[in-house]
Amino acid sequence: MMLEHVLVLSAYLFFIGIYGLITSRNMVRALMCLELILNAVNINFVTFSDFVDSRQLKGNIFSIFVIAIAAAEAAIGPAIVSSIYRNRKSTRINQSNLLNK
Amino acid sequence: MDLPGPIHDFLLVFLGLGLILGGIGVVLLNNPIYSAFSLGLVLVSISLLYILSNSYFVAAAQLLIYVGAINVLIIFAVMFMNGSEYYKDFNLWTVGNGFTLLICTSIFGLLITTITDISWYGIIWTTRLNQIIEHDLISNSQQIGIHLSTDFFLPFEFISIILLAALIGAITVARQ
Repeated sequence: MMLEHVLVLSAYLFFIGIYGLITSRNMVRALMCLELILNAVNINFVTFSDFVDSRQLKGNIFSIFVIAIAAAEAAIGPAIVSSIYRNRKSTRINQSNLLNK
Repeated sequence: MDLPGPIHDFLLVFLGLGLILGGIGVVLLNNPIYSAFSLGLVLVSISLLYILSNSYFVAAAQLLIYVGAINVLIIFAVMFMNGSEYYKDFNLWTVGNGFTLLICTSIFGLLITTITDISWYGIIWTTRLNQIIEHDLISNSQQIGIHLSTDFFLPFEFISIILLAALIGAITVARQ
């Protein structure tokens, strides 16, 4: 049935996001994997709101809040990455040691 | 959406396939612009999945904000910082990648067994019996609007202040 399938899809998306977030060497790709994780959380919210709470729809409202926070994060993240790129001429994660000295 | 059974199952399989392949493509493609477009595929299929589960407002918000704003911003970031350094170190498989893959797949398998073990229908029926069965005629979007303007009013205003502060901070960080 649909609920278990969607939950398994959401768990798959969450773990592939965590895998990419840990193993990626590029900051922009790490931001993309962060979006994948937030989307997995959103899928769970909307699915449980449809199946359990179809009158009140509070899961939909929480997913809208998560989307707004993700929009703020997607504005901040490339700004920081471009600032690091301007100083270091590189967007690799293991070379960003600007706070080191 | 009230579709007949085989069309619903076909759409679910189709969207799930797009989501799985797009998720693999985001992580494993070695050119970041391809993985950004693959992220777009994932976001569009998630939006269609929301339409299948009767949440039209969240589907529209997903299409407008994620695909229209965030994905375009990520593609701009990739094109702005595209150097020749991306092609140096693909095929670089270290021990840490294998260890992370092992841990992620083991926790994923554990989560799948937990999901399939729980009897969701008992939980759903007990919560549905507790709800008052009133057949009102307002739609989902009107319901979301009523909730946002009455009992989620303070978080809604806080979200707007957070967005304003984040956008001003992003402009301040990015301009030189």
